[in-house]
Amino acid sequence: MKTFVGLFLSSTAFGAVILVAYWFVAHEETTGSVLLAIMTAALAFAAVYAVIAERHAHIDGDGQDLTPEDVKGEDLGVYTTHSPYPILLALSCLFMLLGVLYSPILAFAAVVAVLLCLWRLGAESARV
Amino acid sequence: MITWLTATDHKKIGIMYIITTMVFFVIAGILALMIRAQLATPDNDLIPSHLYNQIFTLHGTAMIFFVIAPFGLGLANYLVPLQIGAPDMAFPRLNATSLWLFVIAGIITFLGLATYGGAAAYGWTNYAPLSEISEGTGVGADFWLIGILLASVSTILTAINITTTTFLLRAPGMTMWRVPIFVWEMIATAILILMAFPSLTAVTLMVLIDRHLGGHFFDPAFGGNPILYQHLFWFFGHPEVYVMVLPYFGIVTEVIATFARKPVFGYVGLVISAFAIAGLSIGVWAHHMFTTGAVSNPFFSAVSFLIAVPTGVKFVNWIGTMWKGSIELSTAMLFAVGFLFNFLLGGITGVMVASPPIDYQVHDSYFVVNHFHYTLGGGSMFAMFAALFFWFPKIFGVKLSERLGKWCFWFMFVGFNITFIPMAFMGLEGMARRVYTYPNVEHLALLNGIASFGGVILAIGVALFFVNILVSAFAHVPVPANPWGGYSLEWATSSPPPEFNFETMPPINSRRPLWDAPSTQGSGP
Ligand SMILES: [Cu+2]
Repeated sequence: MKTFVGLFLSSTAFGAVILVAYWFVAHEETTGSVLLAIMTAALAFAAVYAVIAERHAHIDGDGQDLTPEDVKGEDLGVYTTHSPYPILLALSCLFMLLGVLYSPILAFAAVVAVLLCLWRLGAESARV
Repeated sequence: MITWLTATDHKKIGIMYIITTMVFFVIAGILALMIRAQLATPDNDLIPSHLYNQIFTLHGTAMIFFVIAPFGLGLANYLVPLQIGAPDMAFPRLNATSLWLFVIAGIITFLGLATYGGAAAYGWTNYAPLSEISEGTGVGADFWLIGILLASVSTILTAINITTTTFLLRAPGMTMWRVPIFVWEMIATAILILMAFPSLTAVTLMVLIDRHLGGHFFDPAFGGNPILYQHLFWFFGHPEVYVMVLPYFGIVTEVIATFARKPVFGYVGLVISAFAIAGLSIGVWAHHMFTTGAVSNPFFSAVSFLIAVPTGVKFVNWIGTMWKGSIELSTAMLFAVGFLFNFLLGGITGVMVASPPIDYQVHDSYFVVNHFHYTLGGGSMFAMFAALFFWFPKIFGVKLSERLGKWCFWFMFVGFNITFIPMAFMGLEGMARRVYTYPNVEHLALLNGIASFGGVILAIGVALFFVNILVSAFAHVPVPANPWGGYSLEWATSSPPPEFNFETMPPINSRRPLWDAPSTQGSGP
């Protein structure tokens, strides 16, 4: 088992332990139990994903004796250096929240802008 | 300019993160000086009370959300890919989105000052129903909530990016059990963020719904529950403390090992203790709520005490790393040792307030202010300066003046302790936090006078740091790849590193690839 899968599995187990301990000591206080239960469920989701994803993962970093020579010519994909959409997306998120509070028209325009940015970001990463 | 606004390179993003945190650090520091000016003498009316409330709210908010926590994330943005031998973060565009959400969050929070009712004025904890019904419920409070909401989302996205990067993009031979301790501490931080920050996102949204969309989550008049607010807030709030400390544990570990010229003592112990601290810290949130009488004090007290154990393990590791090393007291090392001293004091008062009987006595008093400033100011802030002096040559290709740096350290160290030691005694004499003035009883006038005097010395120390940057930039002495004789991969590439980080990658056969290969050991200081 790869180390990071173990990390998520043990985090989930820890969440479960603290949930049970908390329930045992303070079950009349439901808020805490619910919070811990939601958190443990979310960790379990991540852990299950990690277990499944591990089967197809070939990670250079896990090769104890691999050297840079061994992976020469391997296709690393293309790394982007610039994109205008992250900053536009962040601004749109701000205007979306301001719009929800103060102006439905602004909110609508900002939601459209958010969707446009997400679409362009998706298209950009699909290209490489 | 445009190339910076649209950059997705992790180094540029890291630099922008760090510069933004430095801007907010200066602003929050000026706010702190205003607080100390108001409190310098009893019955002072220099700053009106409603403005004072905004000042301490923005000081706490900025230091926590826009300085100490994001500095760790920004530094990780810069360092993690370099230390594991990757060309960039796993999701460069997501990374840029995190950065801009964070920058915009900080700006909108402070824009509250420009609104008619002023900025948010209910403390960084934003307790409901206070934040819903009383003074400070104007546009400025909305801006604060929007800012924190955006900052929380930004932090979660960064955490996803950091975990994915470290799991998948390590260079050949860089196994998980060979990555530097700083990277491990960032993994623990990131997983802790994923556990705790959704609660902050939810609670700020709920307050916004209460304020604008007719909700009553926290309004007892309509069956809402204010204690629910405290649960949701502190479920995030206590882990946040460790989000603001774990990265700095990593920084201190790297600095100490480099300047003691010894391998990190107890590598596995440091990793396990990081996760033990992260894990335990999600089980202690209601130690901030002992005095509500609505939580299980024995449970939260016991788990809080337990955190002292893995923290003690870390101290053993740091001292063990220095033990019989050939220690070089560079400025970065001085700040790291200063961190050990201050953080130990903060940890001891932390164990005290983890005990409900003591907490009932000192809750919401200056004793608590003393406690968390020793952990986050004397601790994290000193480690932040250790990081700045240590990695400045790598990031900017210029070494900071060591002479000025040592002046900076001593002013800060002496000033910090003169400022904050008296606060413990103020608290024991009953001075409440967040009040804009106090009567001339007991020794409060003397203690506050000393604290304000110390604040000036501390500020001179911080100012010397920025003078140092100007002086060093003007002198502009170029630095080699490995000016300190470091052992981790970032020192294998040029200062500053080229696009995509490495022209050639050294072989990685251990936790200290650069100390294995004689040619890359660097010129040394
Ligand atoms: Cu706490």
